[in-house]
Amino acid sequence: MDKISRRCKRAAATVLVAVAVAVLTASPVSAAETIGGCMAEELNNLDWGGKSGAEAFEELEHAAHADGAPDETKDALESFEQRLEGCQSAQNPIIPEVNEIIWGGIAFVVLLALMQWKLFPAVRRAMDRRSEKIRSDLDAAEQARTEASEVKSRYEAEMADAQNEADRIIEEARSEADRVRVDLIARAEADAAEVRRRSAQDAKVAKSQAIQDLKSEVSEIVIGAAETVIRRNLDHDAQMEMIEDYIAQVGSRR
Amino acid sequence: MEFPPVTHLFDWPSFLFSGSPLAVNKTVLIFLAAVVLTVGVFGLAARKRSLVPSGVQHVAEGGINFVENSIVMQTIGPEGKRFMPFFTTLFFFIFFANVFEVIPGIQFPANSRMAVPLLLAVLVWVIYNYVGIRRQGLGGYLKSSLFPPGVPKPLYLIVTPIELFSTFLIRPLSLAIRLWANMVAGHLLLVTFAVLSAALWGFGYVPSLLPFAALVLLTAFEIFVSGLQAFIFTILTAVYIGGAMHAEH
Repeated sequence: MDKISRRCKRAAATVLVAVAVAVLTASPVSAAETIGGCMAEELNNLDWGGKSGAEAFEELEHAAHADGAPDETKDALESFEQRLEGCQSAQNPIIPEVNEIIWGGIAFVVLLALMQWKLFPAVRRAMDRRSEKIRSDLDAAEQARTEASEVKSRYEAEMADAQNEADRIIEEARSEADRVRVDLIARAEADAAEVRRRSAQDAKVAKSQAIQDLKSEVSEIVIGAAETVIRRNLDHDAQMEMIEDYIAQVGSRR
Repeated sequence: MEFPPVTHLFDWPSFLFSGSPLAVNKTVLIFLAAVVLTVGVFGLAARKRSLVPSGVQHVAEGGINFVENSIVMQTIGPEGKRFMPFFTTLFFFIFFANVFEVIPGIQFPANSRMAVPLLLAVLVWVIYNYVGIRRQGLGGYLKSSLFPPGVPKPLYLIVTPIELFSTFLIRPLSLAIRLWANMVAGHLLLVTFAVLSAALWGFGYVPSLLPFAALVLLTAFEIFVSGLQAFIFTILTAVYIGGAMHAEH
């Protein structure tokens, strides 16, 4: 609001100044006259012998050229001719014309007003908008570039990490596999040794058991045979028969 | 060969409201045309507003950039930007009024009439004195313009009257007369060579070739002068306003 009223004041001041300048510069200057108009005006203003205009001029010329014409008549004619010559002399070109000052002033003030409040700000705004757009586009491009390079470096870092991780995993897997292999071999060897040890032990146990069984069996056989022998005192043939019977008996029992 | 009377070259009869202070003649029409052209250029440029400028938009925006970079920033500095619409108007108005000097069928620089150069010079005088008084106060402004610092005191006897005349009297007159006289001279030159070419044409076209070539070159030169005088008027205005804004050091 304040801005608008200040603008209005400024506009009013500009118009006032322009009008004042136009009036001040124009006032001492008479309106433009053509040569013919000037001469006609001089002729109309001529007053001689109760007549005016062309008739007065004829009268004056006649009187002045007559013999014994009084000096004042001659002077009057001379001064009139000087006034007519004055009409023919060119107007000083450095003296401005009123109508041109007024029209030129109006033209300039109107143009200045239009430029000040409408045209200049509009074009300026368009220019500023373009500058702003170019600046923001450049900023955005720069930012995008920075972001892209950030993303790229991050990506590269991630790639490197992933590569390292993969290497580490592979290395780990390899060492794990080695460890497992060694472990498995060791365990297999241990198992094999255990199996061997156990089977050897089993064999040993079975052997001693078999020996033990055989021993008790033989003992039983021997005891049985001895019992039989003791119970019956027989001749050699009977003894042999008895032993064979017993053996057969034992054999059939097994 | 008959050379027309000088009054016939500059003094145009009015054809509307003759005899009144609002009489319209060729000069007046050219000033009105300068307004229409300036409004047209800036109006079209303002309406177009395309991101990539073209055509008339270049003229308006190039003009603004030119006035800002080559006139305002060189003489006043960033402070002068608020006068940009005034300087731009001044430049375009004077230029268009001048350049009708070479527009076929019109061929008359409206600023070869004293009216508008004088009017603009007086307007500039009012503005720079107003700015000076507003900025420095009446006393400060008079002191800085009439008693430039760094001058030995006795010399003020000579310097102060000179400054008084040059700042407050000669400046507006020189501003007006420079523009007016340049355009008068340009118009007379073009008329002279045109009349000479036409007169020599009667003796077989060969003798008229030289003045005609000169006429063509002078026409181009006068387009340049039209712009140059508009530029000089505007930059001097800026110098005066800038000088009134800052006290001389």
